[in-house]
Amino acid sequence: MDTRDHPPADTPTVGPWAARWELAQPWVSLLARLGLAGVLGFAAYTKRIPELSIESVEAYQLFPPAVAEFIGYTLPLFEFALALLLVVGLATRYVAAVSGLLMIVFIAGIISAWARGLTIDCGCFGTGGEVTPEETRYGLDIARDVGFLALAGIVMVWPRSPFALDRLFGLYR
Amino acid sequence: MGKASRQAARERIRQERIREQKRAKRNRVLMVVGAAAVVVLLVVGVGYLFMNRGGPGPDREELYAALPEQTVQQDGSVVVAGEDVSAPVVEVYADFQCPACQRFEEGESGAELLEMAGDGEAIVHYRPVSIFAQRQAPLSTNSLRGAAAARAAAEHGEFVEYADILFNNQPAEGDAGFAPDDLKEWGADVGIESAEFTERIDSEVEVADQYSDYYQQLVSAAQDSLSEEELSSTTMPELMEWGDEQGIDSSFLEGSYVKEVLDATDEANARYDGENAFTSTPSVYVNGQSVGDQAVFSASGLRSAVEDAEPGEVTTEPLASDSDAASAEDDSGQPPETEE
Repeated sequence: MDTRDHPPADTPTVGPWAARWELAQPWVSLLARLGLAGVLGFAAYTKRIPELSIESVEAYQLFPPAVAEFIGYTLPLFEFALALLLVVGLATRYVAAVSGLLMIVFIAGIISAWARGLTIDCGCFGTGGEVTPEETRYGLDIARDVGFLALAGIVMVWPRSPFALDRLFGLYR
Repeated sequence: MGKASRQAARERIRQERIREQKRAKRNRVLMVVGAAAVVVLLVVGVGYLFMNRGGPGPDREELYAALPEQTVQQDGSVVVAGEDVSAPVVEVYADFQCPACQRFEEGESGAELLEMAGDGEAIVHYRPVSIFAQRQAPLSTNSLRGAAAARAAAEHGEFVEYADILFNNQPAEGDAGFAPDDLKEWGADVGIESAEFTERIDSEVEVADQYSDYYQQLVSAAQDSLSEEELSSTTMPELMEWGDEQGIDSSFLEGSYVKEVLDATDEANARYDGENAFTSTPSVYVNGQSVGDQAVFSASGLRSAVEDAEPGEVTTEPLASDSDAASAEDDSGQPPETEE
């Protein structure tokens, strides 16, 4: 008889550590979910003035002015929308995946600025633009974004957490 | 019906049920992801519309009509203040080639300042600078041409109107713009019909081009004969003085508006320090206190910074309007009671 299709829940093979993880995982995921939401929400809030946000994007010298302006307007809104979805826990796994992708894009942007010898503030939280060479801190910015990427990874791999709208729709229960 | 075929039928039904469950799960995921996508589109779309909703804002022509007199100062800056008006002094530092300055002047902030100047709620002191003067050629020359042309327009009392046209026509970074013919035409557009103005444009354009070459020469000479340490501790005026001693002549700048804006930029850099430091354009100071980046770009932020401030004093002297320009030389003395 073919048993491949049995969901894992039907055949629990629980060791002591696995049992503990089983218990802790939803709360770990909840913390990661809310932490990531906080980071994205704060990032959006600090970019709320479009003129400054556009300036941050322009500093990377990657886009033509019209595109930089569009990104300057919409990126904070996009971050806010992701934060909102993470807080309410809707499509948690997929929103976390998109947030992780966004972090990868940010990291790539910072590396590209670093590699081209630009001296800019990453503009990750509010005021970006040019700074003096001594004021750049690309390494720190990348490390921080890698940390956020890890949060996104946790939520993506273990999307099951309490207080999530997903549960109402029968997902990740 | 044999036993084997019954078993096969049961198996088919079981498989079917599993497929059914999978389909239902997939549909739930699709529905939830779809709902999330709708939320994202709504937030971004509505937010984008809301931020761009500003529309044309108050009519600039009306704001211009309500403006009090624009008085050129000895350093080439322009004070917009009604007679005997006592109000906080708002100093605006901007470069005509800087994109953020364009957004500042064309957006709600620029309009708000004009409105406050028109209502006598603020004395607005426009202090053009050239933060790009020492950069690569189209950037530097655009910046200097723009500032010099605005200064020429200020001579005719049309600084604000002319500056707005410059910002509206700001060249993209790296493109050559502010062409001499355009600069002259824009003068005519704001009602400056004077040979003096067009001649001035021609001579300033020449000086701006010359400055670009001069600066390259000065820097390469300095790099050859000065140490790294000396270079970083030398200010522009000191470097130019050094250049003159080395035979890199800066006298072509004398009497030009290009020199005025270069000096104004050096003075702005030296004027503030600490939290107040002049680090970027546009910068706005109310009674000498920086209002900060956040307030610069919000009309309400600017207004509340002005409303919280006491009446202030303009720290520059007006340029003597008659030909006897030799009259007042001291810039550092007591600020004048708003005089005409």
